[in-house]
Amino acid sequence: MTATPVRPTDRLAGVPRPSVDVSAYFDLDHGLVDRTIFSDQALYQQELRRVFAPSWLFLAHESQFAKPGDFFTTYMGEDPVIVAMGRDRRLRAFLNACRHRGMRVCRADAGATKAFTCSYHGWSYDTSGKLVNVPNQGDYPDHFEQERWGLVEVARLDSYKGLVFATWNPGAPPLVEALGGMTWYMDAMLDRDPEGTEVVGGVHKWVLEGNWKLAAEQFASDWYHVNISHASALMVMSPTGKGPKSEIVQTPGRQYADPLGHGHGFPTHPKSRFDDRVVHAHYDYEALRERLGDARVEGPMTTGHATVFPNFSYLPVNGSIRVWHPKGPDRMEVWAWTLVDRSMPDDVKDAQRLYNLRTFGPTGIFEQDDGENWSEVQATAHGFVSGSMTLNYQMGLGLEAEDGVHPGTTGRLYTDGAARGLYARWRDLMNTPAWHEKDEKDAA
Amino acid sequence: MSIHIPEPAVAETGSGADADIRLHFEVQRLYAGEAQLLDQHRYADWLELFTDDLHYWAPVRTNRLRRQQALADGAPGEVAIFDETKASLAWRIRRFDSGMAWAEDPPSRSRHLITNVMVRDAEEPGEYVAESAFLCYRNRLEREVDLYAGGRTDLLRRDPDDGRLLIARRTILLDQNVLLAKNISTFL
Repeated sequence: MTATPVRPTDRLAGVPRPSVDVSAYFDLDHGLVDRTIFSDQALYQQELRRVFAPSWLFLAHESQFAKPGDFFTTYMGEDPVIVAMGRDRRLRAFLNACRHRGMRVCRADAGATKAFTCSYHGWSYDTSGKLVNVPNQGDYPDHFEQERWGLVEVARLDSYKGLVFATWNPGAPPLVEALGGMTWYMDAMLDRDPEGTEVVGGVHKWVLEGNWKLAAEQFASDWYHVNISHASALMVMSPTGKGPKSEIVQTPGRQYADPLGHGHGFPTHPKSRFDDRVVHAHYDYEALRERLGDARVEGPMTTGHATVFPNFSYLPVNGSIRVWHPKGPDRMEVWAWTLVDRSMPDDVKDAQRLYNLRTFGPTGIFEQDDGENWSEVQATAHGFVSGSMTLNYQMGLGLEAEDGVHPGTTGRLYTDGAARGLYARWRDLMNTPAWHEKDEKDAA
Repeated sequence: MSIHIPEPAVAETGSGADADIRLHFEVQRLYAGEAQLLDQHRYADWLELFTDDLHYWAPVRTNRLRRQQALADGAPGEVAIFDETKASLAWRIRRFDSGMAWAEDPPSRSRHLITNVMVRDAEEPGEYVAESAFLCYRNRLEREVDLYAGGRTDLLRRDPDDGRLLIARRTILLDQNVLLAKNISTFL
């Protein structure tokens, strides 16, 4: 009799899956991208293995877990996961699949529980993922080792200023290293107040018939679309209600492109402000300047847009944080939260919540039009000719530089710089065997 | 094209089956007229069906364990699909007048079906609680189809000037967890 083999990811070696070199889809030095990357089924499967599985992925906000037993279910790539606070008050994340037959062990979106009991055969796991009960255990062989059959846990879980991330990759760098230079920019949203942030109750969830990269790229790198795509919303929000002010159309600003694929574009304005009057009036801008420095208050704290590679994005002024869950090459699911400062008075939190849901989310006057763009981009990507057309990512090419104000490499506000960075990172990950493939080689 | 707007009607004083039937008929006509305004994209006219102190609310619906069902519908103050005043609805509607609301250009075809209407007296005299079920079919561009189904609970009140029924509160429970549409560019 042999014991169950121990493997770091609890996976059998299996048959290696073929991967392709994606270099030919890019000429980023000249700003060229082949559209195949947005619709190809085989590339999508490779992306799940080599982009999503090895990367740090956003799970939830710490404020969603107040006491032991609190849980939230979400996805990492297409893998369903449970995030739960154990009795030791530690947050863990596991595959939401019973080790016996793979049944989803938790079918609630969120809640509080003592155990996750599978409704198929009754295997039961505690909130730290440990298998604690197996009905009819006497019928299993002697070498059945209950302690080896806990829920499959992520390799690493960590948080950055309230945002909880995890990865399946045991060799992943620490989260703060994976965020890299992006943290300076993220702090303009996450660190306005010593008490930090929290999320408003509830999550907006909706489907979009488009590849997840369309959204991730836009939030990393695309101020350009605002003036046209969101013309109706800009008109409604303009002081006269008649049309956007000329300074909106020619907004000065910068865009940060991180070598790890993250991106953050932002208008620069000496009088940084929140669009909602109540939220704007709440902040002491002198104190913010002291805390975060002028460059951040006048830059990334404004009406910017950002993506943390691969699929976490946010809008600082709206307090919208969201993840683009991939659902096949042609579809994504958006899960969006509303972020507020923990110390905000209730009326300010509510003003931020209302401003966010009226501008972004599935009924938001801005976001309605984003959905139309992405679904029609995807709908026209399925012909042979249309699907392999070369796309233009040349805006701002050659203009990236260190500007002495914003750390790292930035370009003008109107540039595809961060998109080129995102695709360079995507290409490199797609061309690099992930840790699980190395395991397979070692085992072979 | 024109539609028949329910003429001002004042329920007969007194109670009894006759008054109930008249009231029920009046509410049915209100909803049929409302559905027609929405399907014809006459949003400014649609807004006239509401009182100035309107609260128009569609909470998010979540999957919760049976013992935690009380938490299944989003609470006031949480993330919501709509959480609107008359002024914020007017703000949303102005967007359609810009000529640049691309999510509705070309416009969608929609059909709001309102059924299962039940009317009862509210606590305040002269106010009514009306429940209804809705099914909104949206067909867009070549072959996009979205179905929004759910229930609405309205508080109805008479216009002090002309006596017509106005909607003062609307709670919309959309029967979906993940919204199975790329957006909601109409109203429910």
